[in-house]
Amino acid sequence: MGESVNTLAFLVMALAAIGGAVGMLTSRNIMYAAFWLLWTMLSVGGLYLLLSAEFLALIQVMVYAGAVSVLMLFVIMLTLRRREDAVRSLDFSPSAALLAAVFLGIMYYGISNATFPEVALLAEAPNTADLGVVLFTMEGGWLLPFEISALVLLAAMVAAVWWTKGQDRR
Amino acid sequence: MTYIPAIPLLPALAFLALLPMSRAARNRAIWLPLGAIAVSLVLSVMAFAAVWPGGAEKAAEPVYHESIPIATVGEATIDLGLRLDPISSAMLIVITVVAMCVQVFSVGYMRKDPRVGWYYAVLSLFTAAMLALVLADNFLMLYIMWEIMGLCSYLLIGFWHEKEASRKAAIKAFLTTRVGDIGFAIGLFVMFVTVGSFEFDAVLGSAAEWAPGVATTVALLLLFGAMGKSAQVPLHVWLPDAMAGPTPASALIHAATMVAAGVYLVARSMPIFEASGVALQVVLAVGLITAIVGGLLALVQHDIKKVLAYSTISQLGYMFIGLGVGSVIAGMYHLITHAFFKSLLFLAAGVLIHAYHNQDMRKMGGAARALPITSAVFAVGSLALAGIFPFSGFWSKDEIILVLTKDGQYLAAAGALFAGFITAFYVARLWFRVFTRKPQAEGLHEAKIGKLAPMCVLAAITAGIGFFGPTLGYFLGHKIPWPDLVVAGVSSAVAMAGLAAGWWVYGRKGGEIDTGAVKARLGAIYSALVAKLYFDEMYERLAVRPFTRAASGLAVFDISRIDWLVDGAAKAWGAIARVSWRFDDRAVDGGVNGVAEAIWAFGKRARSIQSGRIQTYQQLALVAIVLLLVFVVVKG
Amino acid sequence: MNIGLEAFLGLSAVLFALGLYGALSKRSAVMVLMSLELMAVAVGLNLVAFSRFVTPEAMTGQAFAIFAMVVSAAEIGLALAIVIAIYRHARSVELSALERLKG
Repeated sequence: MGESVNTLAFLVMALAAIGGAVGMLTSRNIMYAAFWLLWTMLSVGGLYLLLSAEFLALIQVMVYAGAVSVLMLFVIMLTLRRREDAVRSLDFSPSAALLAAVFLGIMYYGISNATFPEVALLAEAPNTADLGVVLFTMEGGWLLPFEISALVLLAAMVAAVWWTKGQDRR
Repeated sequence: MTYIPAIPLLPALAFLALLPMSRAARNRAIWLPLGAIAVSLVLSVMAFAAVWPGGAEKAAEPVYHESIPIATVGEATIDLGLRLDPISSAMLIVITVVAMCVQVFSVGYMRKDPRVGWYYAVLSLFTAAMLALVLADNFLMLYIMWEIMGLCSYLLIGFWHEKEASRKAAIKAFLTTRVGDIGFAIGLFVMFVTVGSFEFDAVLGSAAEWAPGVATTVALLLLFGAMGKSAQVPLHVWLPDAMAGPTPASALIHAATMVAAGVYLVARSMPIFEASGVALQVVLAVGLITAIVGGLLALVQHDIKKVLAYSTISQLGYMFIGLGVGSVIAGMYHLITHAFFKSLLFLAAGVLIHAYHNQDMRKMGGAARALPITSAVFAVGSLALAGIFPFSGFWSKDEIILVLTKDGQYLAAAGALFAGFITAFYVARLWFRVFTRKPQAEGLHEAKIGKLAPMCVLAAITAGIGFFGPTLGYFLGHKIPWPDLVVAGVSSAVAMAGLAAGWWVYGRKGGEIDTGAVKARLGAIYSALVAKLYFDEMYERLAVRPFTRAASGLAVFDISRIDWLVDGAAKAWGAIARVSWRFDDRAVDGGVNGVAEAIWAFGKRARSIQSGRIQTYQQLALVAIVLLLVFVVVKG
Repeated sequence: MNIGLEAFLGLSAVLFALGLYGALSKRSAVMVLMSLELMAVAVGLNLVAFSRFVTPEAMTGQAFAIFAMVVSAAEIGLALAIVIAIYRHARSVELSALERLKG
């Protein structure tokens, strides 16, 4: 029972994610494209749940589906004020499509030929508390990189504010 | 002797202290580097005094030698350490005295600049690097300090980065010296592979046993690095442009210390050069060419700083001549005297530039009456430059010519004398243009005591140091004899002849100078000299433009996610493209036309790849990545 | 049919390739950024899948996924700020307005 639900859930969400991505690339209106991206993000969040990464699934929803999508929508609204601006051609590029297809082909070839280490799945997957131990304690080993990543975010924030405001001050 | 590390460390700490400050706080804190260099000066004098008794005997057995291991490469350990021996202690004195004078002078000169604090910080770091360079006990540390100085000179040349010329000069200096540095680095690799160590003792001690081919290779590679740093032909092009920086910085960097690093490197690695033999000949040839070319180019410059810059190039050539006959002492002696009188000249030129608000000698004149003290010290400096008794240049130039004649290199000696003649000639030209005739500007005023004092100190050293030559020579471990009367007579006569010729052309008519006749008669030569013998054009055509193209080709690989969105980058590229375009527009007809045309045609075709559409670049990059992936997946 | 690591890797490769196509073909800076986000998400999925199937105990992959998210969040924030700055400058977010990198 469990296995089949798992497979079914994966198939549904994988199709949803791919469908969202295709939808994003094929919508003429940037606004719709942004919503398709949001859809893909949510599907990937669901896949994280399947991988028993609950914390990441939540983060995925909050950061990508929440913050990033909202940011995208704001930028679209700020820069493309008229409805006509948001609607645009499909920009189909055969060379890009060919390249992406070749890339996918190589990836498929690589994945199907690669051998991955066989690790027995744990009976009970580690939960969010375990992830907290990994990230926030010295024993976990990721404390310093985690703090540094906080700095990166701060720097990015300052820079973003500077870039959006900077023009007027000069 | 535990205070030795403090000598380079103090200015470095001053730099670190200034670094995080706000601009305003930094501008108020300029006493910090001043204090640091003052203490370093005192410590250097103490170090010098400690080495002094016995002097030469301590060359083999340094007074102070400490090192710490920093890495292990295979079997070999790499140490960084400091050693104090006669040559380095003499250099310490030279560097700290000149740096002190320059920093004191800058208080008055740079006071009104809004970024004076940053200027002092970089100056301090530069001094620290140079001090550490002369104290280094191994080639690796020497190389590290060498590169730090390259960075500092970049920062100082481009100090007024609002100006296009400064930015370009800074980039030019950085890239040109980098060309030499590549040689230096490869030389270090070869050295390490041969000896398994960077230590002076280990490397220089075993140099005599190396295969001659290896010794020649290493020596020539090191020489190439030294040529970049010491602005030897053909890598001299950056030094004149470097005059875009603040004048006191020029005094420190482009006259007294940084350019001296190359000479110091060759002097230090002399055993390698001697083991090679051929390399010494090359040093001599490079020095001769540089001395003469630098002098000739100085003849036609109108910018007072450029005249001094070219004279620096020429004098550095002199030092290489001295080294080229295997005489460390002759080269180092001229290095020391030159450091003092050239920084003096640059500081005095700074005063003149401030007084006239101009760097063009044609717009100066009459300075002797308006700025008597500056003129007096400038006279001391320029007479030393021309090699007139009893000023310092006379002694050290004589020493070089003496070792040349002793070695039987009469042709080289003649060349050196010719360079001396040119030197005296352009000194006279400068002198009669700037100091005599009617003043071309109003409201001239003498500098204040804060600027005059350092200049007077340097002038006193310049006037007096020659009489201590033999003592200094004993200290450094080689004999500097009192000048041979014949040699001294000949060289003095040549210098006087140069001055006289200069007077005949520029001073005879009591001021109003008509050089039209001379220019007309020497048409082709004159215009070749004005065009700086086409070195820049040649590089532009043969190196810079193809390189820019190659770089654009490589930039295709840069699929960095946001880079391409940054408008600034696009602007910079636009600027470079425009510069390159403007050059094409007025492309000079030169002897290199054929080659250049071919490169141009190639570039034209290569240009079409660079459409400006970022996604074209990305696709190209992706093609490369896909190919790589195919390789990895299929092969692996 | 068994859902293993390969299935997730395949899915992530598909998403990545789609994002790649978008980044290479779209002419609007905003669309390109969205495609980049798609690629970043694909990478994150990859990492989490590896974490689940290869290092379930140490959760290295999840830690990496968090860092990747941090970087891509920082990147998207900055990139959108730059898009706005460019919009002010050029009154357009079309990449064709930025074709000044030509030789």
